[in-house]
Amino acid sequence: MTGFASILTDLRSLASLAAAGVLFAAPPVHADENLIERGKYLIHAGGCVTCHTTEGDEAVPFAGGRALESPFGTFYTPNITPDRRTGIGNWSDDDFVRAFWDGVNPSGEDYFPAFPFTSYTGVTRADLLAMKAYLFSLDPVERANREHDLPFMMSSRRAAGAWKSRYFNAGRFQPDSSQSEEWNRGAYLVRHLGHCGECHTPRTRLGAIRDTHELRGNSDGPGDEKMPNITADPDAGIGRWSLKDIEYFLDIGMLPDGDFTGGSMSSVIDDNTSRLTTEDRLAMATYLKSVK
Amino acid sequence: MLKKSALLTISLAAMLTASLAAAADTTPEDAKAYRTSVMTTLRGHIGAASMYVRELVDDNGFLEAHAEGLANGARELKHIFPAGSDVDDSEALPVIWEEPEEFQKAINNAEKATAAFREVVSGGDKAAIARAFRDVGAACRGCHDRFRVDTD
Repeated sequence: MTGFASILTDLRSLASLAAAGVLFAAPPVHADENLIERGKYLIHAGGCVTCHTTEGDEAVPFAGGRALESPFGTFYTPNITPDRRTGIGNWSDDDFVRAFWDGVNPSGEDYFPAFPFTSYTGVTRADLLAMKAYLFSLDPVERANREHDLPFMMSSRRAAGAWKSRYFNAGRFQPDSSQSEEWNRGAYLVRHLGHCGECHTPRTRLGAIRDTHELRGNSDGPGDEKMPNITADPDAGIGRWSLKDIEYFLDIGMLPDGDFTGGSMSSVIDDNTSRLTTEDRLAMATYLKSVK
Repeated sequence: MLKKSALLTISLAAMLTASLAAAADTTPEDAKAYRTSVMTTLRGHIGAASMYVRELVDDNGFLEAHAEGLANGARELKHIFPAGSDVDDSEALPVIWEEPEEFQKAINNAEKATAAFREVVSGGDKAAIARAFRDVGAACRGCHDRFRVDTD
C-alpha cells in the first residue's frame, strides 16, 4: 500500500483509546455566537471531528487519540479542544492559521501530512478563525496526546520537513473568474476544506498527491480501501450522475442505483457532507462534474 | 423461559454458523447467487423509493409496494448469509461469520428501519417519509461499513 491517503484513516478497525483520564476544566470564554456557529459549520465541512475523535461510545469529540494507520507508521491524532495543557488552548490566531497554511505547529515544527495541510493551505484566514472560535467555545478536555508510532527513519520531524520541502506548496485558493460562483464555491470545498483529494487522488510512492490525476481514484486508500474515481469521466468516474444524484449521495450516501456507500465514506457522510447545506453540496457537485 | 430476543439471537447465530451441507441441494455458489438476487431486489426498491423521497417523481400508488418489498427483503437478510457462501466474487466479508452477533445487530437495524419506513409510508406524511428513508440509508451504510467489501 502506498500513499499518505491511508494515513487518513482506518475508520473502523482502530482500537478505542481512552476516554479514560478525560477531565473537564473550566469553561472557556465564548466568542461571538454567530462566528462560533459559522465555525461549527466549517469544522464539519472540514471533516475535523472524524479524525480528531477516537472510536468508542466514551469518545469525547475533538479530544484526539484516533489511530491513523499508514505504510509510514501509525499516527495518533491530537487533542484540539481548548485545554491549555494538552490541547490547543494556548494557541494564538496566528498559530492556528499557520498550522493550516504552512503545516507547522506553534513551536515551528513541521507536521506530518497525516494532517492534510496540503489541502487546508487553501482555506481563508476568516474561515480558519471561525473554526478556531468554535473549537475554543467547546469545553476543554484534558487528554494527553499519544506519541506517533513510526519507524526510525520517520520518527523525526525533520523527515516531515524534508517531505514538505519537496512536495508541499502553500497557497490560498484562487477563484477562477471564468467559472461561476457556484463552481468556485465547490472547488474551494472539494479541493481545500473538504480535502477530497487526500483520499480520491492517487499518490506517488512517497505519498505526494499526483495533481495531474485529480480525483481519479486511489487503489491504495485508507484501510486498504479502493477509493473511487470521482471525476466527470462517464465510465471510470461519476460523469453519468446528475448534479442532484451527487448532492443526494453527499447527503445520505445513496448511489443512483439504490446502493449505499460504506467504509470511510460513510463517516464522511455522517460527520461532514450531510451537515452541509444543499447549496454547498450542489456546489461540490458542480465542481466535481467539471473535473476531467 | 428464554425471552424472544434471546431466541432470535440463538437462531441467527445457529444459521450463520450452519454448514451449507445442511441444505441438501444448495451449493455455496447457489447461496451466493441467491443473496445477490435479494440484494439487487432491495437496491431496486430503494432506488425507486428514493425517487419519490427526492420528489423527482410522484407516488403513482406503488410507493407502499416498494416499502413493503424493502421491509420484506430486510427481514430475509438473516437467512441469506449461510456460512461458506463467501465464494466467487462475493462482497460479504468474513467478519460476518466471525462476529455473528455484531452482524445480527446490523441487520436488525436494517429490519427495524425498513419496517418503520413502511409504517410512515402508509401514513403519507412526506417529511416523516423522508426522515424514515434517511434512517434506512443509515442502517444500510451501518452494515456496509463493516460487513461488505467496499465497492464504491
